[in-house]
Amino acid sequence: MHWKNLFPLLRKEFILEFRQRYAISGIVLYVFSMVFVVYIASIRVSPPVWNVLFWLIVLFASINAVVKSFVQESGARQLYYYQLADPVLLVLTKILYNTLLLLVLSTLAFGAYSLVAGNPVKDHLLFALVILLGSLGFSIAFTFIASIAAKANNSATLMAILSFPVILPILLTLVRLSSIALGLIQDTAYTRDIINLLAIDTILIALTFVLFPYIWKD
Amino acid sequence: MWWKALSIVLIIYTILAGMLVPLKSGIQRAEPAFAKAGEEVKFRFYGYNTFFQKATDAPIRVWLYYDDQFALAASDFKALNDTILEASFRFPQQLPERKASTSLNALIDHPVAGASLLPAAVYLSSDSLAQTDTVLANAWTANPVKQLHVQSGFSFPYQNVIYESIRNTYFHVPMWFVLLFLFTASVWYSIQYLRNPEPENDRRAAAFAETGLLFGALGLTTGMIWAKYTWGQPWSNDIKQLMTAVALLIYLAYFILRRSFDEYEKGARLAAVYNIFSFASLIPLLYIVPRMFASLHPGATGNPAFGSQDLDNTMRAVFYPAIIGWTLLGFWIAQLRIRYQRLYDKALGLE
Amino acid sequence: MKYYYSRIIITFILMLAISLPAVYAEGNRDFMRETGKINVVVAVILLIFLGIVWYLVRLERKLTKLEHQTKDD
Repeated sequence: MHWKNLFPLLRKEFILEFRQRYAISGIVLYVFSMVFVVYIASIRVSPPVWNVLFWLIVLFASINAVVKSFVQESGARQLYYYQLADPVLLVLTKILYNTLLLLVLSTLAFGAYSLVAGNPVKDHLLFALVILLGSLGFSIAFTFIASIAAKANNSATLMAILSFPVILPILLTLVRLSSIALGLIQDTAYTRDIINLLAIDTILIALTFVLFPYIWKD
Repeated sequence: MWWKALSIVLIIYTILAGMLVPLKSGIQRAEPAFAKAGEEVKFRFYGYNTFFQKATDAPIRVWLYYDDQFALAASDFKALNDTILEASFRFPQQLPERKASTSLNALIDHPVAGASLLPAAVYLSSDSLAQTDTVLANAWTANPVKQLHVQSGFSFPYQNVIYESIRNTYFHVPMWFVLLFLFTASVWYSIQYLRNPEPENDRRAAAFAETGLLFGALGLTTGMIWAKYTWGQPWSNDIKQLMTAVALLIYLAYFILRRSFDEYEKGARLAAVYNIFSFASLIPLLYIVPRMFASLHPGATGNPAFGSQDLDNTMRAVFYPAIIGWTLLGFWIAQLRIRYQRLYDKALGLE
Repeated sequence: MKYYYSRIIITFILMLAISLPAVYAEGNRDFMRETGKINVVVAVILLIFLGIVWYLVRLERKLTKLEHQTKDD
């Protein structure tokens, strides 16, 4: 594995994103639309509902943001990367890039959401940590699933079906952690949950490294 | 094949033993459920599977007891019929402990049917707190609970709320085990397929997954029926319900994934990868869900289900053969599915 | 055509068997709870039996179709 390839590959992702600005703009618009829909549908949002709706917005935005990461490049170009770089390195760059993308997206979503629906967060530091961990977990799971779904024709539907059962443990923990940050649950022992989340991420990333070469070879 | 015969024998044994072995005697409730210290109260105990009127060589004995030390024997009792027993208790002035109120367990010892117990049967309250320990000791320790009878012969434990539906242990619970074994087999053959891409490995992975889906759906629906009549509602975000539901979703997605490719090999390979990935991601749920929702299944506290301590030797003698029998049946059905698929692939010229 | 009818009949019986306890529970709340909830056990066993039979019938139908196909070739 050539680690020095990591940065050129990462740079490539950014350049690609910059070239296809309409894609990322579309997702940002998607986030804003969803926030707006929430605003119209219910003007007064109680903190428990706020919590669940926030994670639903982030979840769907993440699915839509990540699903394109393998579709946007043509088969010929993927073959080129395959010859050039180690598949594990390739998936690692995708995961890193998607983590950053999701971090930006969920921060945007949080900003817009708290603007229209209020900001009931009590523990901002914990909430920021939850968003960071959430972006990481979503990125790992969705990147892997997207790489499977990209091989099929109806990748958008497949993506949602395949990722739901995989994301459930992460999502449940995130909702719990953020309701602690919102002061809905009084629980000081939330480090267990953070460790759980990191353990899930570790399992998923290890599996991704082992299994990705099997997806990639075509 | 010997194991197919074994599965049939074990399942027949499970059904016969599971349905025919009687339940132990139990007390459903006591009336009235409240009493005051220092009074004489006449209680009615409603029994289940009891033989209060059956003539025996030794007398029936009735207690209301607090713990090993403090117990109160009935001063007088009479069996109205086989299931209703009327007993009078003369409560001392003081409670067993220096408290304003306490709950007492009812215990009826029958020489043939054995001892049956109702926890927290009577709620006893007192106007004055206990003054001296000596008075208390004499009143409550004169007739301690001792020399209880044990029912001879096979019988299943009696549990309030559950009653006869404890027999579902041999029909509903093994479905969960079959699901676990079949999905594990499916993942095993998916790993084998990635190591050695032969259609046979993929066939087995898919067939085990499909049979696992069948048993998972059966486990879930039978569980919902049982839950409705014991826990009150069919769905309660219980860890085992959630795990099964998510496992079913995973394998439904697995089959959709398999069929969304034109090339057979590609679909089989990607489905195998997804099988391994999602099965492994299911395991963290075991640690996460208990932190969010209290489980109603055995092993968790404060639920009207039976705990592992209630799985007595008689139940084990039926429960373990039941697991083996149902699992073998599951593998038998999966084998039929594999053989069908083999023929189908051959007819289509895939091999 | 023969299989089409048998499928309808089987589906009907299956749905009836599954919905029967629920219907009884609506009309007469005691059916599932009387005699120590033994009917819960009966419903569970019946459901398992019918589920397995349904799967086997489906498998048999697939096999018959395959037999017809191979005979034609």
